[in-house]
Amino acid sequence: MVFEIIDVIISGLINGSVYALMAVGLTLVYGVTKAFNFAYGSFYNMGGYFAWMLLIPVGLIGGYFSVFFVAIPVFFVVGYLLEKILISPLRKHDDWEMKVMMLTLGLSLFMDFGYQAVFGPRIKSLPGMIEGTLELGQVVLFHQDIVIFILSVGGMICFGWLLNNTRTGMAVQAVAQNPAGAKIVGIPKDFIFAATFAISTIMVGLGGILLSQKTFIDPMGSTNIMIKAWVITAFGGMGSISGSLYAAFILGMLEAFVGWHFGMIYVQIATLTLLLVTLTIRPRGLMGRE
Amino acid sequence: MLKVNKLNAYYGESHILKDVSVAVDQGQVVLMMGPNGHGKSTLLKSICGLVEKVGGEISYSGEDIIGSAADKIVNLGITYIAENRELFPYMTVKENLKLGAYSKNARANEKKNMEWVASLFPKLIERQKQLACTMSGGEAKMLAIARGLMSDADLLCIDEPALGLQPSYRLDVLEIIKEISKQGKTVFLVEQNIPQLTEMADKIYIMEEGSISFEGSKDDALNNEDLKEIFLGL
Repeated sequence: MVFEIIDVIISGLINGSVYALMAVGLTLVYGVTKAFNFAYGSFYNMGGYFAWMLLIPVGLIGGYFSVFFVAIPVFFVVGYLLEKILISPLRKHDDWEMKVMMLTLGLSLFMDFGYQAVFGPRIKSLPGMIEGTLELGQVVLFHQDIVIFILSVGGMICFGWLLNNTRTGMAVQAVAQNPAGAKIVGIPKDFIFAATFAISTIMVGLGGILLSQKTFIDPMGSTNIMIKAWVITAFGGMGSISGSLYAAFILGMLEAFVGWHFGMIYVQIATLTLLLVTLTIRPRGLMGRE
Repeated sequence: MLKVNKLNAYYGESHILKDVSVAVDQGQVVLMMGPNGHGKSTLLKSICGLVEKVGGEISYSGEDIIGSAADKIVNLGITYIAENRELFPYMTVKENLKLGAYSKNARANEKKNMEWVASLFPKLIERQKQLACTMSGGEAKMLAIARGLMSDADLLCIDEPALGLQPSYRLDVLEIIKEISKQGKTVFLVEQNIPQLTEMADKIYIMEEGSISFEGSKDDALNNEDLKEIFLGL
């Protein structure tokens, strides 16, 4: 019993860490642009398929190490260009936040059907990053889980460092906190919007590579991820990075316990109940700002 | 240095500035006065690229800047210091100041300007780790001015720096503007709460209903009975 609970906690921590990586990216884009990216789940699948392509048909030397090396710049460019080509022109119109949601919803469906057309409707699986287990008494940890946890947390630490210690990172925060003030000090908003979108694409794409090893790559699976990422950001407080971090671990843990005790079918119901109760009592979420 | 010719500016459908022409020469302190809500701030914002719908001519050091993006204008050496401060609320004093030096030119002189700002605003530097949102109105105003100075601009467009401030802060503002001017910087200022400023202004404009109704030296203004009563409060 005790060891089962320890297993559940570990599973919650691992899922929570990857969710945190993804949700922070989503909340960042919302915080900066005030528009919601509904294609976020499809970018997660882009990560899975990208890794699959490089590892299976291409057979890239260096395995996952090379995959990350190639993926980070590629995801950045994809995110940057999509923002510049599809989203940036919308901002010239009134009510553009709503138009961005419409467009990203369309983009999400386009990508999902695109995956089906290119990769077929059946799920694909990614090879594990690393084999083997670590035994601590009766608790057994998969090396793979440890690596996923370390990479997710490491990714977030890198991201936090960049946000607080680089000029562009500070500019991103400035635009999120006061767009008018950012304009006054000469921060080019268009560049910051595109860069933020690109960074969030990296975060969710990496999340896709990490988590798809434990689950599968499902061409229609983006909705589930979108729901999760959205629940975390709304629960944590839209636009709040620390809120998303806490929310990701709380929901990761809740998911693990509900899945273990009641069955996986109740997981989404439990997380959505938590969300609805939270938003009813506190509409701005855990740490959102009024 | 700065020439504005027949400038028109709009917010949505409302026509705010109507054929406004002003000229500011290098090293001058130019004062813009007039009733509230008649377009003084809009003029400063239009110069700094912060108003979307503008028509007419604005040239700075011979370069046409009307309609240019705000970040390009900051890079040319013009900065706007907002009446409502527009600070970054969840950043520290120091971080706000560093972001003031975001533009390329400012970056090169960030250290020098930080020392200058520290000498002008010793109280701010004592509180460099404090979040901007926890500061009092007067302190926040000082921070907004200090952040503007970090931009390394040659032309500072300062919007009502003393509005809503206690008298002691108003005198601080006056001293700071004197010091900025002493450094050879050009100051274009909207302000009418500091009578001493009228004394030091090289030129005074008065704007009413989106048009310039008076332009002249401080002596012209002081000799004009109507102005004395209505605007200068003397």
